[in-house]
Amino acid sequence: MSTHDEAHDSHGGGEHEEQHIHPEPTSFIRKYVFSTDHKVIAKQFIWLGLCWLAIGGTMAMMIRWQLANPGKPFPILGGLVFGASGGVVSPASYTSLFTMHGTIMIFFAITPIMIGGFGNFCIPLMIGARDMIFPLLNALSFWFMVLSSCVLVGSFFVPMGAAAAGWTNYPPLSVNIGTPGLGQTMWVLGIFLAGTSTIMGAINYITTVIRLRAPGMGYFKMPLTVWGLWLTAILNALFVPVLGSALILQFMDRVLGTHFFVAGAFVKGGGDPLLYQHLFWIFGHPEVYILILPAWGVISDLIPFFARKPAYGYKLSVFAMSMVCVLSALVYGHHMFTTSMSPLLGQGFMVLTMIISVPAEILFLNWLHTMWHGAIRTPPPMMFALGVVFVFGLGGLTGLYLATISTDLYLHDTYFVVGHFHLTMAAAVFLGSFASIYFWFPKMFGRQMNMGLAKLHFWLSFIPINVVFCIMLAVGLGGMQRRLYDPSVYTTFQSLQSLNVWISRFAYLLFFGQVFFVYNFVYSIFRGEKASENPWEVGTLEWTIPSPPPHHNYDKIPLVVTGPHEFNNPAVLKATGRDWIAQDVPIPGDLPAESQSA
Amino acid sequence: MKRHCSALAPLVSASCLLLAGRAHAATGKDWGRPTDISLDGWRSDQLFNITTVSVTILFLIMCGIILWALAKHRAGSHAHYEHGIGRSHLLFTAVVSSIIFFGVDGTLLVNAFEDIHAAYWNYPTAAENPLTVEVMAQQWAWAIRYPGPDGKFNTADDIVTLNDLHVPVNKPVYIKLRSKDVIHSFYLPNFRVKRDAMPGTTTDMWFQATETGAAEIGCAQHCGVNHYKMRGVLTIQSQADYDTWYKAAVADARLRNDMSDKESQWGWDWESK
Repeated sequence: MSTHDEAHDSHGGGEHEEQHIHPEPTSFIRKYVFSTDHKVIAKQFIWLGLCWLAIGGTMAMMIRWQLANPGKPFPILGGLVFGASGGVVSPASYTSLFTMHGTIMIFFAITPIMIGGFGNFCIPLMIGARDMIFPLLNALSFWFMVLSSCVLVGSFFVPMGAAAAGWTNYPPLSVNIGTPGLGQTMWVLGIFLAGTSTIMGAINYITTVIRLRAPGMGYFKMPLTVWGLWLTAILNALFVPVLGSALILQFMDRVLGTHFFVAGAFVKGGGDPLLYQHLFWIFGHPEVYILILPAWGVISDLIPFFARKPAYGYKLSVFAMSMVCVLSALVYGHHMFTTSMSPLLGQGFMVLTMIISVPAEILFLNWLHTMWHGAIRTPPPMMFALGVVFVFGLGGLTGLYLATISTDLYLHDTYFVVGHFHLTMAAAVFLGSFASIYFWFPKMFGRQMNMGLAKLHFWLSFIPINVVFCIMLAVGLGGMQRRLYDPSVYTTFQSLQSLNVWISRFAYLLFFGQVFFVYNFVYSIFRGEKASENPWEVGTLEWTIPSPPPHHNYDKIPLVVTGPHEFNNPAVLKATGRDWIAQDVPIPGDLPAESQSA
Repeated sequence: MKRHCSALAPLVSASCLLLAGRAHAATGKDWGRPTDISLDGWRSDQLFNITTVSVTILFLIMCGIILWALAKHRAGSHAHYEHGIGRSHLLFTAVVSSIIFFGVDGTLLVNAFEDIHAAYWNYPTAAENPLTVEVMAQQWAWAIRYPGPDGKFNTADDIVTLNDLHVPVNKPVYIKLRSKDVIHSFYLPNFRVKRDAMPGTTTDMWFQATETGAAEIGCAQHCGVNHYKMRGVLTIQSQADYDTWYKAAVADARLRNDMSDKESQWGWDWESK
């Protein structure tokens, strides 16, 4: 086998990077710890993300416990974690819990799993590359995430505890006036480091997609997963730096005594707390699309894969996802309707927010159309993908209430908001992550997960997650605010307590339902049935190479001639009897690639 | 009378929007919206219901299509080979998206714009003679200041209360908010409105009660450990009852206000920003 790739010899693409085959490292450290192999880094990100998901989930259980059983000691872990208050979640612990739950889930669970993990795993494999274009930067991105995780873990053990100003971290509550503890400063530092890691990854992904696509892999031949991840990377590169700037200013306010975001009775003159909200949401709104776009991309591939039909309106889906990216930058003001912003500005933000429903409708129509007249297989990845369509449908539609100023003035900062954003960016990404894990697990580890357990896991996730967040919508409609340690302080909300109890019960069910995943995941890595090269019978490039792929992915860089979702193509059916065709195989009867490019 | 809804809870998950939005909205007890006792609360409620009907229809159609496809187009059936990129396909997507956008989003936009101009940002003018009140939020209480008989704030006859707001029924109440420390949000669940109180800025809100009785003032913005305790009481009285309370409060104020205590003079000139 030649050590040079043949990319530059072949036709059909533009200019291509030369990609050498490097020998696989043999030492344990180089191979599994400080690896620059995108597949290893992907697994590292997924492990890190899953660990954080478990921690963030446990915190959610503590929050739910307090709301269902106020003043009762938290079982088992209570004495250890809340020793000072006799195992009971104290008001101070409660503020830390919801702050860190949000922070952990967003920056340390979703981001590493979907973007760090599947971004790393899928992009090079699906575009036919041997690795990321900057492998060392890739490793650095992961280790920055580890460093920032350490800072965050450490913040729990300093005097006055972890951050407590909410994951949005609004000043002046988040500066020394409201939260003087070191934990809050470590939060700022930790998120800054996590942002640095994200930016490193984003630059790598963007460049890799531009430079390392295999010959013939035009932008419109890329799987939609790659499109979702690529657009995510662009949003990350553009908007995480805005968060970084806000964090630097906040760090200075906390440590150096500046007053960028401080005003009120405790300072002369002072700055503007509202400035932080603008900076935060300029990042924060794109961030919710950053979290959901990879899942959109994945399910836009999984639905055609399992409906055995070409993706309906492929280019329109790409257009819709790109539109969402552009619009996501222009709508952030809808998070601030109650700050008394000028009504003209409010109306502008409201119109722009509503316009986002157009590309969202296009995506939904395309998903439904793809399923229509298909031959739908429903293995676990497809079940989870359809689960995403369901919960994102609910989440997206409930967004209408919050985009409308008349209803938002009532619903803002109530549980309706909590239900809404959990349906969109928690439930949808949660189910999307599992769709991705079940789908790519055979390629990652060369083994299959147990499908029966996976189906059980689906129902134990899908049903409770919907019940939990839909009842939250009802509690929000009842008017109950977020972040209340004990809602019974308000007589108005006392009648909602039975709903709070039911939310908690289904939340426990959701939490313990994950046991089946953990067992299945760990067991299958070591003992799962050996997976074939292409167990799902799909055509994207990663399924043309062995499971797991060799260190350098492709012995020979493939020449891409076919789209990613050519299912049930009559010519293919006739010639091969199969309903699928790999991306590097020409459709029988088509002109050979050489003459196409001429 | 307290109704238990435990048995209903699982059902809620499937249709909570419709159930909660429609069936229980009217009662104002149990787990629906709190009773609306405001002049403009119907704007929010009505638009909520319109949205609920629209999104429920859209969601049911979506679920119907998914279930239908799953039932009818199962593995083994003949899959159509189509890319959905023809002109007719684009036209179909464009038409459906437009119907939803102009139908649903359009309705919400038009109504909300009207609400903004007719109510939420249409502050009472001096001619309407509103009750003017200044509120200074702080961790974790609402300090409330009435201008007193001289109509000016920060003078010796100001009525100052803590977490206790009295207003007459059927009269516009114009509130200006500031905060001493962190951001709070003045929230009246029974009036369907809230507005942030921020240090360094003055924000405005107004409302008008249509029924006498007591209602709660909540803080909607996380403001620290005791955020959940930052509760105030709004007492809505008939004009006669309010006048009685007001007279007593003014007499009390003249005794209590100590103009040499600068700290207690946190009010501001009404017109200042």
